[in-house]
Amino acid sequence: MNLSFILPDDTGANIAPKDEPSAPSTLHLMPVEHAIRATGLTKRYGDFTAVDGIDFTVNRGESFGLLGPNGAGKSTTMRMIAAVAARSGGTMEVAGLDPEQNGPEVRALLGVIPQQDNLDEELSVRENIIMYGRYFGLPRRWLNTKTEELLEFAQLTHKATSRVEDLSGGMKRRLTIARALVNEPEILLLDEPTTGLDPQARHILWDRLFRLREAGTTLVLTTHHMDEAEQLCERLIVVDQGRIMAEGSPAALIREHSTREVLELRFGLDRNQEQAEQLSTLLDAADASGSIGFSHVEVLPDRLLVYAASAESALERIHAAGLRPITSLVRRSSLEDVFLRLTGRSLVD
Amino acid sequence: MTDQLHVRPGIETSTSPAADKHALAGRVRRVGALHQAERTLRSMRAYGAVILFSSVSQPIMYILAMGLGLGVLVGDGGDFAQYGASSYLMYIGPAILASTVAMSAGIEFTFPVMEGFKWRRLYYGAQASPLSPGQIASGHILAVSVRFAVHAAIFTVVLALFGAVSSPWAVLQIGSALLGGLAIGLPIMAYVSTLRDEKGQMSLIQRFVIMPLFLFSGTFYPLTNLPGFLQVIGWFSPIWHANELGRVLAFSQPTPAWMILVHVLYLLGITAGGWLITVRIFSRRLGLEEWRGRTPGAKADARRQTRMAARDGADVERSAAERSSADRSAPERGASDRSAPERGERPASDSAATLPRIVFRRGFAANYYSGNIRAVFGRGLTAIRNNRGVIFLSGLLEPVLFLTSFGLGISPMIASVDAEQVGLGGGGTISYAAFIAPALLAVSAMNGAIFDSTWNVFFKLKITKLYRTMMSTSLGPVDVAVGEIALALFRGGIYALGFLGVLMIGGLVDPLAAVLMFFAALFIALGFASVGMAVTSFLSRFQQMDWMMMVLIPMFLFSATLFPISVYPAGVQVVIQALPLWHGVELMRDIAFWDFGALTLVHIGYYLVMTVIGLSVTTYRMKKLFLR
Repeated sequence: MNLSFILPDDTGANIAPKDEPSAPSTLHLMPVEHAIRATGLTKRYGDFTAVDGIDFTVNRGESFGLLGPNGAGKSTTMRMIAAVAARSGGTMEVAGLDPEQNGPEVRALLGVIPQQDNLDEELSVRENIIMYGRYFGLPRRWLNTKTEELLEFAQLTHKATSRVEDLSGGMKRRLTIARALVNEPEILLLDEPTTGLDPQARHILWDRLFRLREAGTTLVLTTHHMDEAEQLCERLIVVDQGRIMAEGSPAALIREHSTREVLELRFGLDRNQEQAEQLSTLLDAADASGSIGFSHVEVLPDRLLVYAASAESALERIHAAGLRPITSLVRRSSLEDVFLRLTGRSLVD
Repeated sequence: MTDQLHVRPGIETSTSPAADKHALAGRVRRVGALHQAERTLRSMRAYGAVILFSSVSQPIMYILAMGLGLGVLVGDGGDFAQYGASSYLMYIGPAILASTVAMSAGIEFTFPVMEGFKWRRLYYGAQASPLSPGQIASGHILAVSVRFAVHAAIFTVVLALFGAVSSPWAVLQIGSALLGGLAIGLPIMAYVSTLRDEKGQMSLIQRFVIMPLFLFSGTFYPLTNLPGFLQVIGWFSPIWHANELGRVLAFSQPTPAWMILVHVLYLLGITAGGWLITVRIFSRRLGLEEWRGRTPGAKADARRQTRMAARDGADVERSAAERSSADRSAPERGASDRSAPERGERPASDSAATLPRIVFRRGFAANYYSGNIRAVFGRGLTAIRNNRGVIFLSGLLEPVLFLTSFGLGISPMIASVDAEQVGLGGGGTISYAAFIAPALLAVSAMNGAIFDSTWNVFFKLKITKLYRTMMSTSLGPVDVAVGEIALALFRGGIYALGFLGVLMIGGLVDPLAAVLMFFAALFIALGFASVGMAVTSFLSRFQQMDWMMMVLIPMFLFSATLFPISVYPAGVQVVIQALPLWHGVELMRDIAFWDFGALTLVHIGYYLVMTVIGLSVTTYRMKKLFLR
């Protein structure tokens, strides 16, 4: 990660606003290898503990995910990184700075993409980006050029003078992201970046995020979409009820906590439980030969999940035993299964 | 066996009231509007305390202020016996009832409708039930009518307790006031339900419709006191018709029978017409009827967008021109560019210059104040530019309307004001218009500042969440608070300039005093904006804003604006002197009549303290709200 764009240099001094009040000073960043480091991070609201003493480190240039269900403490953690929430305990460093002590300074390094687009509806698309840059104290002339670039990046050039209201959901999301990039952030915080988007808009967005990652921006994102985490995150932590359940790359987590394949079976609502026991005994016995790699059976309200290295052979055995599920599906293991294994609950409720 | 497939476990079909869908739909078809009314009333219950309190306190306040206070000045000047009233208080009582109902119609038929269609989209939720759009509209109207009726009933009782009614028919005032409120409210509701978004139309309605109708409807004086061309406003105003009807009922004001009929028919006609149109617009908007290719407000939107685009284009061209000229004239910058350390590859940034330093102050309270108030202020100016200019300028209108109404309408009843009586040195008398003019400037400074720092701030705090966005950049809470207050002052300053211009043309102030009064207006606005913003930061819903009005209205009525406080006993005077507006009004009068004393310093000190406290609390709350 090259820091020269925030280090003072002659060019910067030339363009820097001249009429800035009282003793301006710039960021003097010592290169710190960790973009973000949290230890024993805790957040309590009254009796409720939203984040319960978690430790994690995000390396520079990495794309890092916080994965968990609603209310797991992901957004709260993001808010503490972004210096808009005070900690109840623990330490936090963002680029070597404590967000609580150096709020504006830390936020100057960050690009924040909140869960809900909070675009300024009183301004046009272009003005949204320009004004946001102004909040960072960036000079208007520089912003005029930068804005054109960002509009291009977000594929919104043709909408530059439109009102925010007239944009589609995907466009609004892209504008929010373009806006967050106006200060060329070192770290981009994305809170559920693609929630509520249709598949096409989501893929466009993923593509833009890939490009940012290629360019060396550190990405920190929360999500409860497994496929998104698998696509975007090099490393992630699984969070539940304010605690970290597991940590690692998506592939490693699947390897560690699940089997290679999963067989999904439906027997009808009232028969799932009794079938589960029967299947367990059956497959345990069958697995003696070793060809199935059977691990265990999970019972969900509407279906059974049979974890096995070869789901196909498991299904053959089941059919051979004369059991007739209403539907059956063989698929690869995903982070969803990791989560289920770790917490005993499914991720998306 | 097959039957059982349709029965969900745990639910006894036969006893569930939701079982018979046909009966359910039929019932809703008949009385659906009542369901919607119930919902609205239930949501009103959350602020029922405000409604009850205001219904009791408003009449008392107006009776004490206008009836008794202004009544002292009016004295025998107006002979109200010819109207059938035994006192000034009795004369204005029914009119104030009708006016207060009309005023709250301006709230109840605007914001909740906007909430229903746009802000919280409640109507779309209701529409998913068997309710028809027409029933949704009627339900709201019914609920608001109940609110008006309760208000009017309490008001009438209070009037009776003060002996301000002389006819048992006064009970029917509830009906006349309600009718007046609906006649003014329903056309507004019809209009608001066509709006795609709120771009200040609410304050336009307040300033161009409700205010003028209120001020020129013969509320505080007979309509005939006004010059002929202004009386015309009264004839068309539902408030005037409701006022006159109320006067007939409360103290048998002599009125020809055909005139009574005109009042009733006029109010009924507008109410019925407004109701029908509203139902129709609701049906269209909620999609039950074809739009026939026309969206209300679409043309205006298109025009505005063209204008914005044109301006935006000009900005881009200008910056492109600047850029190319800068490129030509700055070879040395290019040199330093080359010597700069190599930059990391960033997306789509090949053509861009290096990111300028993000500069902000360090040191004391750097966590709160990043030294970038300009950006917040600049954003506000851009937003004002994008809105309709007329909304911005409409703020000028209010003090001018007040001055016209009271100056022209009350003057025939009050020849002049005794200088001694109002606490000014030098003796002699001053005209009533000259007496109220400085006070109205102070009031307009207060209103402007309060509007900006309460409604607008609440909006950005809770609805659009603009401040949250701002706080995710390098801005600190102080930047946001001070920037917003600066914006309120900018607006207030322009309004003050306009009003002072009118006063100078009217010969009511001299130029030197006007200059000082301009700064005094800014100073007063600063105090109110600081406190207003601090208070707003504690509010969580629109309706709590009513409490703010609960404070502002009496302050306006009692703070020596329309009559001197010497009409009150000493104890009451002390209370009034503790209120901020009194200090503002007195400060303005000291300047206008060039009559300075030790008290002038007290007035200034009062506002200094207000500003400091307001700003501190605001900053503390901003930090609390956004850096939790």
